[in-house]
Amino acid sequence: MVRTVHDQPGRGAPLPSPAGPTTQRPAQTPRQRAITWIRRHNAAPYLLLLPSVVVIGALVLWPTVQIGIFSFQNYGLPQITGALPTQWVGFANYTQILHDSEFWLSLRISLLFALVVVPLTLITGTLVGLLLSRLGPKMRTFVSSAAMLAWATPAVSASVIFVWLADPDGGIVDWTLTKLPHWLGGGAHWAGFSWTNSALPAYTLLTVLLVWTGFPFIAVTVLAGLRTIPAELHESARVDGAGGWRIFRLVTYPLLKPIFLVLLLLSIIWDFGVFTQVYIVIGELGNRDEYNLGIYEYSKAFQMPPAYGFASALAFVLTIVLLIITVGYVRASVKQGAVQ
Amino acid sequence: MGLRKTPAVRGAAASAAAALAAVLAIAGCSSSSTTSNSGSTGSTGSGSAPASLTVWRMGPSTASQVTWMNGVVTQFHKDYPTYASTKVNVVYVPWTSRTTDWNGALTSGKNAPDITELGNTDTPTEATAGLLANISSNVTSWTSKSDVVTGMLANDTQSGTVYAVPWFGGVRGVWYRTNQFTAAGISSPPTTWAQLITDAQKVQAKFPGTYGIGAPSNDTNAFVSFIWGAGGQVATESNGQWTADLTTPADEAAIKFYVSLYRTYHLSPSKYVGQTELGASGATSGGANEDFGLGKLDIYIDGPWASSNFPANAVGKADWASFPIPSQNGPDPAPAYAGGSDLGVFATSKYKTAAWDLIQEMDSETNATSFANLQGFFPPFTSKLTGGTYSSSQLMSGFAKAASVTQISPLNAKNWPTADTGQYLIIPTMLKALDNGADFNSTVAKANTELENVLNNGTES
Repeated sequence: MVRTVHDQPGRGAPLPSPAGPTTQRPAQTPRQRAITWIRRHNAAPYLLLLPSVVVIGALVLWPTVQIGIFSFQNYGLPQITGALPTQWVGFANYTQILHDSEFWLSLRISLLFALVVVPLTLITGTLVGLLLSRLGPKMRTFVSSAAMLAWATPAVSASVIFVWLADPDGGIVDWTLTKLPHWLGGGAHWAGFSWTNSALPAYTLLTVLLVWTGFPFIAVTVLAGLRTIPAELHESARVDGAGGWRIFRLVTYPLLKPIFLVLLLLSIIWDFGVFTQVYIVIGELGNRDEYNLGIYEYSKAFQMPPAYGFASALAFVLTIVLLIITVGYVRASVKQGAVQ
Repeated sequence: MGLRKTPAVRGAAASAAAALAAVLAIAGCSSSSTTSNSGSTGSTGSGSAPASLTVWRMGPSTASQVTWMNGVVTQFHKDYPTYASTKVNVVYVPWTSRTTDWNGALTSGKNAPDITELGNTDTPTEATAGLLANISSNVTSWTSKSDVVTGMLANDTQSGTVYAVPWFGGVRGVWYRTNQFTAAGISSPPTTWAQLITDAQKVQAKFPGTYGIGAPSNDTNAFVSFIWGAGGQVATESNGQWTADLTTPADEAAIKFYVSLYRTYHLSPSKYVGQTELGASGATSGGANEDFGLGKLDIYIDGPWASSNFPANAVGKADWASFPIPSQNGPDPAPAYAGGSDLGVFATSKYKTAAWDLIQEMDSETNATSFANLQGFFPPFTSKLTGGTYSSSQLMSGFAKAASVTQISPLNAKNWPTADTGQYLIIPTMLKALDNGADFNSTVAKANTELENVLNNGTES
């Protein structure tokens, strides 16, 4: 068998130099042939991407496509067991969502919650990050490990602990509030106060819980960012007479803007889509008036009778809302990058 | 005495069955085709002996229930030598997650039970949904069949097909402590709503730090007695079409009364808003049940079975007594909802014969009666109910009185679990909103429309 690659000079990527100018190159092994093919077609990047594409495709893309299909169907328990045929219902699930007062209630709860929790988490985290950057090494280790403990606490444990803290019978929160003086808002009316019997107190508790578990990540990321800023910049600003706030506003913040954008985006995605903590604090699915979007969607999919089609449409709406936010901020960050 | 609920149950089940005929024609055949063909009651089941059988029980597991079940399994191995090496696994499923778990087991086919306990209000819906195997032929040759309270078996029958057998029944009444009533100067239990409020105020005043009466918003099975006690109906059916009645004067009076226990008279603590009688939904502590057991709540509505849920350090047990839920103007008690549990063979079970044989052991007249007495229920067998042992007990006499006037419709309607415990929680959400100060007329009107839609179509709109 004589297969001569060098019969086609000038094509493809440079090949390893032949052993000698006069000797005909030996026939390639399959391995070598594959390498040649990859080089010639510039396929290496795509081959390297392939495994993750397969995994993501199987675990994310295909389920997403399936949810998309279900969202246009009347898909429930009778369709799964085969008792009734699956029907295409067009946009009926989506129209039903728009006319569903509970959807708007849960959307409002999710939006308001994210609007409050995201800034609070970012501000608290940034302040702690700034504090950490000013501490000595020992104190920094102590404070950051203490904060990371809050972050590392599993969501379920943290939620259960907070529910206990706020228990109307002997919870330390109500006890402390009854002991507080009047001018601090304390008093006997806090005795037996229920933090979970309506949306406002329940989400107040959840705000504290999520800020508590969320700020350490922000703080550590901000600290990492601060350490990349050359010390001379802060020094010269201080020499020019700038105070702490001016230094942060005019030096630190502009330099860390990309980090803040990422943190903002992540916080919005986390806090808008929060499920575990809410599920535990509001008492699972027993309180319809306290559902956020995630819980509402879950109740539609998994409470009797399951409405998988309707819930899939809801999942799509939730995804689209998050995509709009994400795209908006990615665009904003790209634009700012271009302007500067 | 006895559970005189036969006519109501039979009527409701018959009409529900008629409404479901069309759906059953489809759902029924899919489940019956997988049913193993067996009517055997002897020791040689037609199926081979399974390595293990899984039983789903509902509610928290208690030591006495575990002991009882172990005894039944021992007996099962003895009475059916074929299954001598069959292991019986018992899984305790919280009531609040039962539908989710059934649904998950049915759709995934994983970790499914062979036998499941069902609340008697669940049975019509779950049978229609294809959750349960057709056990008609097994029940026909069941030796205890003729002694089962007819209405209870009718509730488990859809279009002539039997999907489950009654295991125990019970009614809710009002728990109180005789010594507290005596100390508060109350000579006899209240028989009207006005007396109920006055008496609750008296005990609450006499025992500072306690609450007079518990009125959790997510306790529809107790709340419906107030509607019935005012002469109203939750919903009525005619020609297969449901009409919700929450906006009728009688229902509105009942709703106002129940909400006033918390909002106007402050006899019920704020934490019960949004709770079931056991606590936050999904929890089994921290609610009215525990508070009554610990002496922090004076008057508490629940069935006699509640005693098995009281905490171990419950106080004043010797003084526990009961009276039926009062009607608006007395003197007869309000009709009580006839609750209870059934046992059914799960549709996906590979060992339907063995499963039915174990059901027969669990639901034998002796075992069902000992189980009922253990938990504070009534057995489903007429011969056991007529003995009169119940009316002579201080604790059980009130419940026995309550059991004399019962109703089940519309709580056994096909879509009732959807309306009350599934996606919609209509009455609990309505009561909770009113407890939190929502506008009365618009809230009740909204709930009424939702209820009517869900009962008729299975969805709100």
